[in-house]
Amino acid sequence: MADAVVVIALLLVAGAATAAVVNRDPVRQALVLSVLGTALAVLFTVDQAPDVGLSQLAVGSALTPLLIMLAVRKVRRRPAESGEDGEK
Amino acid sequence: MNPRARLWLVVLGGAGLAALLAAACLRLPRFGGGHHPYGDRAVHAALTRHTANTIASVNFDQRAFDTMGEMAILFAAVLGCVVLLRQARDEHRARPRPAEVAPPVRRYALVALPVALVTGLYVIAHGQLSPGGGFQGGVVAATAVHLMYLGADYAALERVRPVEAFEAGDALAASVYLVLGLAGVPAGTAFLANTLLPYGTFDKLSSGGTVPLLNAAIGMEVACAVVVLLARFLDQAVEIEEESGK
Amino acid sequence: MNGWILAAAVVIAAGLGTSLWGVSTGPLKRRVVAQNLSNAIVCPGLLLLAQGYGRTSYVDLALILALLGPVGTLVFARLLAGELADDPPSARVPTWTVAAVGAAVVLVLCAVTGPGRAMVKLLVVGALVVGGNLIASRALSHGFPGVDRG
Repeated sequence: MADAVVVIALLLVAGAATAAVVNRDPVRQALVLSVLGTALAVLFTVDQAPDVGLSQLAVGSALTPLLIMLAVRKVRRRPAESGEDGEK
Repeated sequence: MNPRARLWLVVLGGAGLAALLAAACLRLPRFGGGHHPYGDRAVHAALTRHTANTIASVNFDQRAFDTMGEMAILFAAVLGCVVLLRQARDEHRARPRPAEVAPPVRRYALVALPVALVTGLYVIAHGQLSPGGGFQGGVVAATAVHLMYLGADYAALERVRPVEAFEAGDALAASVYLVLGLAGVPAGTAFLANTLLPYGTFDKLSSGGTVPLLNAAIGMEVACAVVVLLARFLDQAVEIEEESGK
Repeated sequence: MNGWILAAAVVIAAGLGTSLWGVSTGPLKRRVVAQNLSNAIVCPGLLLLAQGYGRTSYVDLALILALLGPVGTLVFARLLAGELADDPPSARVPTWTVAAVGAAVVLVLCAVTGPGRAMVKLLVVGALVVGGNLIASRALSHGFPGVDRG
């Protein structure tokens, strides 16, 4: 019975990870990735690994989105004549 | 190699991997349970050195050499980014226009920045007592600095963040870790052995021997590395433009 | 499994499940709101878990999430300002619902904890999570009116 919350966290992680793969636009992937990071932090907490959960929260909640969004912005600012970048 | 042969290769390799993984999973200890051969020994070793957080004891005492390798990986990765994302010959810098931020958002950023900075230091300092440590706290502190960019603009961030100082700090912190490891060697102990300092009182800030010092070195290294890394990314995204670009 | 863990399971399953559905489908403006609310709802969930496991040091996780979650939303609000400007997201009802859940959880935990340092920490986390959630929502709708590039 105490494992129910572990199962819930695992299902949320599996759902979020699948959604991150199914979405093809980098911006939307970054948004799903952020939610995936939060779900992973919950999974680590219910598995009694708060140190890992804390690492996940520190990296996943602000740093990773910032790196991805800055990279996306740089790619999109390329000159338009070099063709469409990604799916927009 | 034609696509058909490639597909067969993938199927073959995937099937082999799946079989090996399934075989390994069948031999794993059961989920949960009370018997942890490694865990029991690690907890015992942590308690003999008065370190309340066993994870910190494993990372910075029992396996401090592994942590040095991880630190070297981060250091090398950031160095690679700095080299890759430098300003190329056919690029120039354009001053970004100042940003206009809604007043509540700006106020929030200015209040949250010191709070997040202090929280980062708290997480580093309490690494040997509660969950957290140098890596987590360093990332939090480095993220806090970038509230200056989010709540104001890039010019404001550049004023509070001299990149050269952070580059020097990164290298300095990495060397401090090495020096702390070598400090015991003249006394005849092993590299990174936790024999330098008294172990202190259990569950107090100064407990754990060299663990808090190594934690602080990692915290400084990670914070500086993240700031330098983000500085390169921000440079590329905000300032540097190709010659033919707009 | 005690009542606190059960409550945490309900909050996390309902909140994170809904956020996951919101963040992976629909227009961009709905996705950013869902991303913001996922942080603001998991934070009380983590507080309930810390109480359920009887480990006060787990509160640190909620503290970090309450601090950095809104920062992540500010990243999206800032770097997607151009795309969100024409059709700004407004989700008054979900935002205030999540804020109310966060405040309620913090107040209940404070009542159980009693006065002391632990209660101060809980109140700080509560203020950060509710304030951060509301400010991040504000940032998503016209938070960066004059951000062109930079």
